[in-house]
Amino acid sequence: MDVKVFQFNGCNKCFNETVLLKQDAKYKVEFVSDPKNWKGEKVGISVITGYLLPNDLEHMERIKNNSNKVIAYGDCPATGGVFALANQKGHDVKPLATLIEGSNSVYGCLAEIEELKLAIDGRDVPILKSLCQVCSRKATCDYLEKINRQIEIEDSETCFNDLGFLCSGFIATECKEKCIDYNTPCRGCKPSIDRSGIRMLAMFGTLAGNIEIATEHSVKGATDKLGDDDDDLTNSLPDILGNFFRFTLPTSSLPKGRISSSGTLLEDVFIGRLIEEIPLITGLIGGAKSISFTLKFIKAYEEANQIEVSEQTKKYRNELLQLEKDLQDAIIKEDASKYKEITNKIRFIAGNMNLSNVFFGGFKSIIDPNDDFNNYKTHVFDVVDGTYKNGSIEYTINPAGIIKEIKINEELL
Amino acid sequence: MSDCEIPDEYVQERIQNVVVFMCNECGQGSANTAGVARMSYDAAIRIIRVQCTGQVGPIQIMEALDNGADAVACVGCCLGACHFFNGNVISMHRIKLMKKLFKELGYSDQFVNQYTSRAAEGETAVGDFEDIIDRLTTAILDKGTIKDGC
Repeated sequence: MDVKVFQFNGCNKCFNETVLLKQDAKYKVEFVSDPKNWKGEKVGISVITGYLLPNDLEHMERIKNNSNKVIAYGDCPATGGVFALANQKGHDVKPLATLIEGSNSVYGCLAEIEELKLAIDGRDVPILKSLCQVCSRKATCDYLEKINRQIEIEDSETCFNDLGFLCSGFIATECKEKCIDYNTPCRGCKPSIDRSGIRMLAMFGTLAGNIEIATEHSVKGATDKLGDDDDDLTNSLPDILGNFFRFTLPTSSLPKGRISSSGTLLEDVFIGRLIEEIPLITGLIGGAKSISFTLKFIKAYEEANQIEVSEQTKKYRNELLQLEKDLQDAIIKEDASKYKEITNKIRFIAGNMNLSNVFFGGFKSIIDPNDDFNNYKTHVFDVVDGTYKNGSIEYTINPAGIIKEIKINEELL
Repeated sequence: MSDCEIPDEYVQERIQNVVVFMCNECGQGSANTAGVARMSYDAAIRIIRVQCTGQVGPIQIMEALDNGADAVACVGCCLGACHFFNGNVISMHRIKLMKKLFKELGYSDQFVNQYTSRAAEGETAVGDFEDIIDRLTTAILDKGTIKDGC
């Protein structure tokens, strides 16, 4: 089967993953990393990876006219993905379905290669369970007393939401990456329902029903009304957009953001996000450089705030950095078996390709069952405002832990 | 934002459809009382009767706004007086999150609101409607509505 994989803009992570198609002899795979200069010849199946902008329309039309079937692989072409958070600052990241008609979508960040194979073969993806159904934690859905932005990793049986630690598992389907297994709440990259972000917002509004909100006396109505002041609810959720709409902003039915842009699209993705969410976002968008990209962010903060990092943490981090170099070699050589072997090793340490296990001060879950977890366990850290710099990255956070300014002088692979 | 002046007629023109979800108990009750007392309110107000404001959430609010509403509000029972359990409080939490979300996107937070009213006092509902229009006017003058113009 003739398959061409086109990489548009963004981090290349899904593009790199498609190298695994080569393991299956029935697919004749070719990679087009520069679709803008693609001449255009007849293709059986076109797989689109990376986020799309309105000026990609003409290239998309050329691809569609030459292909029997077009598949959006990964959240970026399917729902906008994490890069679409830049739409908050007026950018216009668009999902494939809004550019051309009749495309299929494989959701996830990172999307699963098995599902892509099913889509290429023209078979239906089996009906997946909700993430909550496969989660080992138990939910009570009681009203929350408090919302926690970070929690100590002690309780492995109670639902994150019951602990006041925001998790979007309600609207997600089961997945391979499974951040929840590494003490990282779900952000809904594989939604089970349309407009998932806004539904999760409704669900969370209900769960937060016991948290104090500001009301005021309405002079005209002579009764109480909802107040405009900041209250416990809004103060404990400083970044609603980044938490609930991380992967689905363009398909969420929300209007396009009007905050003025302050830099490149990549930088705009980060502005407004929370410091404790940064490792997960950098893990998502760093492509084959995600490990060094994430560790740069983390180290800048750790060094400036004297967060202690154990020898074993450093050892595992160095192993990850070495694996990243090996992975880049495997990608350049288009060596599928080597790619699989190295990603499995990365998954062993970092949990998944989104690096859910990597965090400030250590790791979120035990890596090797023979290890003493206390040697590299992460802890809740204090949010300290200031400017942090490490090599090509410089960012400023405010006292609430929100990124206000960022400069990234780095090309993602 | 540009410095152009927004005339009053323009504001009036912009206030066409204001969707107000009113609960079947105090909300709708107060609107009925206002009707019996022949009180008048802005013609842009479109009342949708729901069993409880707890039924209304971001999905309904976004659907109203996407379908051309200029503002959306909920009117429920007074605090502590929900005829079910705490639907009015839950709705308030959701609307507060929606307000915050619109602010994060760079819009005004004045076109999505929640109020309470008393079934026996029609003026509470009419007062709420006036406040909804006042707040929408503020949002239009700030050029912060979804359909913002000028």
